[in-house]
Amino acid sequence: MINKPHRVQFTSSRIEDLMFRTTFDPVAMAGDVIVNLSLIKGEDLESILEVYALAIRSGLSVSPFLKIIKGGESIGDFRISKGDVGIATVCSITIDGVLLKGGVMINPKLGGVVQIKNGHPVRFTDVVTYVSTTIDPLEVLMSQDVTSVTQMLRTGSGKILANLREAPLVARDDLDHILSDMLDAGISGIMEVGEPNSRVLDVPVERDHLGVVVIGGTNPMAMAKEQGFEVRTNAMSTLIDIDEMKHVDDFV
Amino acid sequence: MTDPQIERKLIEIMRVISESDKPIGARNIADELQNRGYNLGERAVRYHLRILDERGFTEKHGYNGRTITTSGRKELDDALIGDRLDFVITRIEELIYKTDYDPFSKKGNVIVNLSTVDKDDFDNAIDVMKYASSGDISISPNIKIFEEDSDPRVYVPPGCVNIATVCSITFDGLLLKSGIPIKPAYGGIIEMEHNDPVQFLDMISYSGTSIDPVKIFMMRHETSVLDVLDTGNGRILANMRNIPSSAIDKTKEVLKYLEDSGIGGVLSIGDSSDAMVGAPVEEGMAGILVAVGVNLVAAVEEAGIPVATSPVSMVLDYSEMSKL
Repeated sequence: MINKPHRVQFTSSRIEDLMFRTTFDPVAMAGDVIVNLSLIKGEDLESILEVYALAIRSGLSVSPFLKIIKGGESIGDFRISKGDVGIATVCSITIDGVLLKGGVMINPKLGGVVQIKNGHPVRFTDVVTYVSTTIDPLEVLMSQDVTSVTQMLRTGSGKILANLREAPLVARDDLDHILSDMLDAGISGIMEVGEPNSRVLDVPVERDHLGVVVIGGTNPMAMAKEQGFEVRTNAMSTLIDIDEMKHVDDFV
Repeated sequence: MTDPQIERKLIEIMRVISESDKPIGARNIADELQNRGYNLGERAVRYHLRILDERGFTEKHGYNGRTITTSGRKELDDALIGDRLDFVITRIEELIYKTDYDPFSKKGNVIVNLSTVDKDDFDNAIDVMKYASSGDISISPNIKIFEEDSDPRVYVPPGCVNIATVCSITFDGLLLKSGIPIKPAYGGIIEMEHNDPVQFLDMISYSGTSIDPVKIFMMRHETSVLDVLDTGNGRILANMRNIPSSAIDKTKEVLKYLEDSGIGGVLSIGDSSDAMVGAPVEEGMAGILVAVGVNLVAAVEEAGIPVATSPVSMVLDYSEMSKL
């Protein structure tokens, strides 16, 4: 019974909270990262791990690290029910958190579907901005049958999930340094860094800003869904220490 | 990628061609572009048309002019995301403008949603909709049925039937005609208890998305309209719009006329986040919460019948629609 309605929370404010709580340091390779949680049936674990491994090795994720949480155990405040298994993967908003802690005023703007042609990103074809939704845009888009991640891996052309943030032009050097530190730390999902004052993958940016497009951490889930597996996603669910996560090669 | 300026002209030309029901020539395209504020002469149009032909987006039919190809249509769906970011609301504005339903004569345009079902499922779908329209979770029990090639305005896929239901955005059109400044704000999913709305569970704004919010929620299959009809408790789809607080009385008056004429579904009017069951309302503004028309269709999906819906599709004269 709900007595008094509570105000809904939009994704943009949830993101800011998570960015503030990010403590990951790419140079020391330590600290907390933001994770997406996928809940799957226990018996599907092995086949879904294969799908995730394929997606991750093909570069369709933010990082190769993941954590498996068994039924009955908890992650953050979330308890996995018996019979289920949780897979935590690094969420792309981690990059925004690290940039923020590095002093770059970063503004996560939207999540969308990016069309890839022969291995090259062409443009966003559908988008949902963070300020306009209470559900993560990538979760929204995953349910709209607009992705074709599996096809993209098979043929080099297809539509995958990605998100866009804007950074002020003045912070460009810091931005470049931090992104390259992230790359060294294996957080490698950066798809495109735009030129200042010009559209990035067809999306206009604010004046004296540049756009940074990062591959959505939820692409492996979208791929598993496309192949008919039941995956319940809980994007941007919580933060965990990177030490608790292991490289995908340790599982498959 | 081509120059954005050229790209925009190419897309605009394709839009003109796709909106024409027969092949259209460069001369007419140039005239229509002029209407839309693009100053492009006939020669320039021809030049751009050659590019479109080369890309396989348009097709030439001798001297009659050009039509758009399937891949051209696809391109229109995908291109210029920067424009489409607010396209949902722009398109809605166009339909709001065309709304002119008169609650006294029960004639005039209302906005409708179009839902496509398989012919074999049609009778079952109508039964479910009939049942669903008995509750207070939709706008009007009147629908219109389109069969294959029955109406040039509506494309019906082979082997299917289209069902038009009254869309909640009709309210926005009618309130606007009464001089009330109004804008659809959010679509979302609401928890109902004892047939009363209690809490927005999730919502998406009409601006800032390239896909209609109500369509998004339809595809997520989270409603339990049938439960609400049976027990009064469950989840339905609703949307809200904002008006200035000073217009509340006038709004209630208009809504009363509408209800008397058979178009209802307003869940609440209020100027606090409590009244709007958790949705934010700006100071000095009031929200109007309406159960959307496609709840009838959501019920059909819950009953296991596959449906594809495009909300806020077109305008239709209410007198053409008949009761379920």
